[in-house]
Amino acid sequence: MNSSHLTRRHFFQDCAIGTGKIALASLLADSAQGSTTSPNAAALSHSRPRAKAVIHLFMAGAPSQLELFDNKPMLTKFEGKPLPPSIIGGQRYAFIRPDAAVLGPRYRFSRHGECGAELSEMLPHLATVVDDIALVKSCRTTQFNHAPAQIFMNTGFSQPGRPSMGSWITYGLGAESRDLPSFVVMSTGSGISGGAACWSSGFLPSVYSGTRFRNTGDPILNLSTPEGIGADTQRDTIDLINAMNQRRLRLDGDSETATRIANYEMAYRLQSSAPELMDLTKEDKATLEMYGCDPKVPSFARACLLARRMVERGVRFINIYHEGWDAHSDVAGNVKRNCGVTDRASAALIQDLKRRGLLDSTLVVWGGEFGRTPMVEASVSLGRSMGRDHHPQAFTMWMAGGGIKGGVTLGATDEMGFNIVEDEVHVADLQATILHCLGIDHERLVFRKAGLDFKLTGVEPCRLVQQILA
Amino acid sequence: MSKTLTLFFFLVLVAKAHAVDFNRDIRPLLAQHCFKCHGMDEHGRKGELRLDHRESATGKAKSGETAIVPGHPESSELVRRIFSRDEDEVMPPAHTKSVLPEAAKAVLKAWIAEGAPYEAHWAYVAPVQASLPRPGTHPVDSFILDRLAKEGLHPSPEADRLTLVRRLSLDLLGLPPSPAEADAFVNDPSPDAYANLVDRLLDSKQYGERWARRWLDLARYADTNGFEKDRPRSIWPYRDWVVRALNEDMPFDQFSIRQLAGDMLQNPTPDDLVATGFHRNTMLNEEGGIDPNEYRFYAMVDRVNVTGTTWMGLTLNCCQCHTHKYDPIAHTDYYQVLALLNNASEPTYHIETEEIRARQKAQSEQIGKLEAELPTKYPGGEAMMRKGFAEWVASSQKSASRWEVLRPVKMETTLPHLELLPDGFILGNGDISKSEVYDLTVRAPVKGVRSLRIEVASHPDLPNGGPGLTYYEGPLGGFFLSELQAFQKGQRVSITGASATNDAEEDRISDASPAKPTSKKTSKKNNARAALDGEMSSGWQVLGGSGVGHAAVFHFAEPMDLTDGLDIKMLFEKHFACPLGHFRISVTTGDHAAATGLPAAVEAALATGDATKQDLLLRHFLETAPEMKEAVAPLLAARKSPVLGQATLVMKERAASNPRITHRYHRGEYLQPKEEVTPGVPAFLPPLPKDAPANRLSFARWLFAPENPLTARVTVNRQWQAFFGRGLVKSLEDFGYQSDPPSHPELLDWLAVEFRKEGWSLKKLHRLIVTSATYKQSSRIPPELARRDPENILLARGARFRLDAEVIRDSALQAAGILSLKMGGPGVYPPQPASVTTEGTYGKVDWKTSEGEDRYRRSLYTFTKRTAPFAMATTFDAPTGESCLAKREVSNSPLQALTLLNDQMFLEAARAMANTVVTESRTDGDRLQNIFRRCLTRPPAPDELASLHAFLQKQREKNLEDNTLWTVVCRAILNLDESITHP
Repeated sequence: MNSSHLTRRHFFQDCAIGTGKIALASLLADSAQGSTTSPNAAALSHSRPRAKAVIHLFMAGAPSQLELFDNKPMLTKFEGKPLPPSIIGGQRYAFIRPDAAVLGPRYRFSRHGECGAELSEMLPHLATVVDDIALVKSCRTTQFNHAPAQIFMNTGFSQPGRPSMGSWITYGLGAESRDLPSFVVMSTGSGISGGAACWSSGFLPSVYSGTRFRNTGDPILNLSTPEGIGADTQRDTIDLINAMNQRRLRLDGDSETATRIANYEMAYRLQSSAPELMDLTKEDKATLEMYGCDPKVPSFARACLLARRMVERGVRFINIYHEGWDAHSDVAGNVKRNCGVTDRASAALIQDLKRRGLLDSTLVVWGGEFGRTPMVEASVSLGRSMGRDHHPQAFTMWMAGGGIKGGVTLGATDEMGFNIVEDEVHVADLQATILHCLGIDHERLVFRKAGLDFKLTGVEPCRLVQQILA
Repeated sequence: MSKTLTLFFFLVLVAKAHAVDFNRDIRPLLAQHCFKCHGMDEHGRKGELRLDHRESATGKAKSGETAIVPGHPESSELVRRIFSRDEDEVMPPAHTKSVLPEAAKAVLKAWIAEGAPYEAHWAYVAPVQASLPRPGTHPVDSFILDRLAKEGLHPSPEADRLTLVRRLSLDLLGLPPSPAEADAFVNDPSPDAYANLVDRLLDSKQYGERWARRWLDLARYADTNGFEKDRPRSIWPYRDWVVRALNEDMPFDQFSIRQLAGDMLQNPTPDDLVATGFHRNTMLNEEGGIDPNEYRFYAMVDRVNVTGTTWMGLTLNCCQCHTHKYDPIAHTDYYQVLALLNNASEPTYHIETEEIRARQKAQSEQIGKLEAELPTKYPGGEAMMRKGFAEWVASSQKSASRWEVLRPVKMETTLPHLELLPDGFILGNGDISKSEVYDLTVRAPVKGVRSLRIEVASHPDLPNGGPGLTYYEGPLGGFFLSELQAFQKGQRVSITGASATNDAEEDRISDASPAKPTSKKTSKKNNARAALDGEMSSGWQVLGGSGVGHAAVFHFAEPMDLTDGLDIKMLFEKHFACPLGHFRISVTTGDHAAATGLPAAVEAALATGDATKQDLLLRHFLETAPEMKEAVAPLLAARKSPVLGQATLVMKERAASNPRITHRYHRGEYLQPKEEVTPGVPAFLPPLPKDAPANRLSFARWLFAPENPLTARVTVNRQWQAFFGRGLVKSLEDFGYQSDPPSHPELLDWLAVEFRKEGWSLKKLHRLIVTSATYKQSSRIPPELARRDPENILLARGARFRLDAEVIRDSALQAAGILSLKMGGPGVYPPQPASVTTEGTYGKVDWKTSEGEDRYRRSLYTFTKRTAPFAMATTFDAPTGESCLAKREVSNSPLQALTLLNDQMFLEAARAMANTVVTESRTDGDRLQNIFRRCLTRPPAPDELASLHAFLQKQREKNLEDNTLWTVVCRAILNLDESITHP
């Protein structure tokens, strides 16, 4: 990795120290530095960047596309009968047997907006912004278990150890914010199967890891000054540390010491900028109402509103995980419950970004790690009924904002919703497209490790999803 | 970075007019820019041209042109093409996006002009010890100084003694010296003071802890299974073994062979078995519904890759999917190495120690005593006992049936291997899947068979003692019989009913999703009858555990004649793999067979009225009679919790009767197994010895054969990096064609050979390195050096780098005087914010912060949870244990500042230090001295003291109480760059 060390050294040597203006990669780099010292300058600006920031609403557990986006009346017709083996192919399942009977959609669909996109009755709020989003009904992954599939969606590889999309992007572009982390992760549900591997920087320098914003205690770990130590003492302490480090720098000439001095300044700024970010008292009532957000209670809605505030403050990549879509039993209840938590806020985020003029420069991505089977999941011994199992062959995601054409529906599955029949979009295609919207060529955003050039989208060829690009 | 280095060498070339060196200058260029299409991978090869072989490169290619005409760049097609400005001709082609720098073109041309000599890749030729360029000088310095002189650089002066003792102590122990220890060295007038200090540190128990941590990065050690569930596992005995082995200076070859194949040594000791935990540190996916053999495959792939990184410096992982694009490793080679490692089962081992054996003996004596005493405990005395016994025999005889054990004549399964034991029990082992069918044929000259019994019992070889084979996700050691069917001459035989001895127990199914507290238990859905209902999701289940024994009895609709045989099919299907592991089949012609709950021998004695079995019957009566419930409780309790040694995960080579077959996997995909491969090593390396079987043990020994070019170099290089922050070969994990050439090749080779000659002693190697003047140099960076050699490749000064996460934390605790030096044992839970483990990950746990000294143990012992690792460690670049790591990142971030400033643990350290310092020292000046020396070893300089006094003054004006005041001062010093930097 040491190239970034080197460039950083180089940078600091030409720079006045201790002015508080020194920028660092990831957490701290401002975009000027990003463009001058990014080790991946070649990967950038191959196309006009449309988006500056990404908000990825990760619907962990995998929502049922068949109850939300992909209307399959034939499933109702054949309900109770198994699919022919020719359709199933050799697909392995987590829980069900391949000869399980099909289950009809549990909700009604209708068309919305000028584009006339079909959505289920569970998404009344999304229906109001449907002309701003591009629905991709033909997403496909290779993984059929949660942890590997979530890690795959984030890192392009099914095992932990590779850099996540947010890490690649901040590595490639640097940061816009000097006061906040550039890659933030929030979680508002039962827990992420893939764990910290989902926002890991992998073999990229660890400063590119996602910074967790937490629901309890400090939003960023150790953000508050310990009890009993006043704000002025904290300031004095940092001044003392930095003065003594200055002395050390003069004596030993190690540019890492200069970086450390800058980092203490940044830590101090973070101590006020993060609480300022989290303080929703300045948000008007109408806005809170639009999201359905109680400012005091951590929730998906609050995370969406915070995401907008982060975008305003220059945060580059925001992951919001909402977990709980894993409908092995009672898919109808599961979808209703989760839509109740997410639909309004997701739509509000689009509206809010739009009215503030931020949607054009912010890419919003919504979706899970795979889809759910047209076949029913039921198990006497597990007490499950009317559920759906994991389905990697086809699922739906939507994207909106910077670089994306609104009002588009792309791709189609067969009559039974099992296989994709039109415009397959593989996970790597999605990743390439997200990078493209940020002006990054996924082929050129590479990192050399152990003699190999690694990239987010892996070694298999992949393509941009041109049809949804603005 | 490789670019910077390559450029550096170009400059050297130009400046010194050195001849072109193939290994240093040419191969990395060819590997990076050409081999992908003109290398050893025949699939990707273009124009039938190979540039990795001189014969091919200098022969006629498909086009009829000759790429390289030695001595004649003007006639060489290669030169023409790389200089070509024609987009259709230029090499590398534009679409590869690989651009050959102008300087590189010139070097290639110069090389061809010089005759295009090829050389074997330096790392693939066994190292030899060159003579020292400066005889009489320390060998390390001899090479380093020689090179510095050639570069026109001078070494830095020796660091002062306080710096030296601090540096040595941090490097060798991962802890700073106490002020007293530092002073003892500084004031030691002996000429051997330094050597003595080195010896003392190498002998310290903390040495093993420090170096174990580095090894565990490679071993991807963690205390949980990883992936979604991320449950805890017990493998800390392996971690403790590493510490012990390093403290004992176990020769590195033995250290390695035991970890790779300790189970295969003759008469392996318990330690040899524990050591095989190295490759049990792979992750285990317990998510509902995974394919266990797919994840076993990933674990095997990980083992091959980790082996490549750790001992061979090879990026074998490329070859999982295809032949290497630039290193000489073929796709098949990869699976040959995998085959070497692939023939082991993965049991849990309960470590046998003298103490455990003694306790087991005591327990069995106690059980014997309790059994013998039972008759005396019968309420009402012997007469009453005889009466009760007689009544019990009379009534039990009625329910007992005469069972005949049948030994299958045929046993087929979908995956596991079944073995018939002398007592008629069948023992399963080997790989298992989510859907297993056992197809057993029994044959006996018995007519009128009415019922079939399946007895299941624990067995020590099974996970959690069996009786099932379930080893992940579900109840460990349990099984789930979804369906049982019988056939005669291909015709289904009707089975009308069933019962099992555990039918009355509560239904306990392990669910893949979190338990729903609202769901009400209704009637039992899983029982023996459920194995007959045609519904796969219900069945007969027995949970695992030692001492478990149950039976299910199935009733035929019509009496059966087994003379011509009976086929019994058992289906085990669930979202986890759940087949039976230890069971026995018997039949009866009796008409009242039932799952009586009587042990088979007892039921047999009752049914036959065998008078010789009175003792057996009496004992069973005494153990089960309701009136004995209280008296028998201690006996049953003792049996239920047998004394077992500490559990740890190990490898065990499979029986010769059941070898695991290895295949090549097309594109490295689990679902695409192709032809079978035999175990072996890549062809470009020395072969395995002919007189030894090609297995794990031979492979482990082969790594240490004198002709093996890699192991010693890779190991020495990693040790070097620990002291200097940079390896002689920068890429610790890759010694292949694309790796950066060694900065000091002769030194690397000299050390590698010396390491082997000195019996693979790590301590001797460490001593050799730290006694060099090179190591002892001041680490100050003069501007001139910062410019000329910013990475300190040439070592004209000592090394500076931020300390490892563990060293930072341990140093703070040590400075505060609260570090516990207690060694070994299960992971501990130092303070950290609760949200680290309670939020955001599926496998969330409450972090139950340890109390007492466990709160302040060395960081090596912190419980490592893969999906939510200890926050401070992550912030300072410690790995998560999810993959092997040869070299940690060294980052410098604001989150680190927040941690050191505000984290509770560091605050506790500061507070403890303040408390001690306030008592130990009286005046401000003394206290400041005290704090400074605890944290930084050296005393403060006058201007530093002035800053600190000013700070004190200002805080006092705020009426800070004394304790807080000094806590804040300690905290500030702990935060200094110098506190966390290798001096």
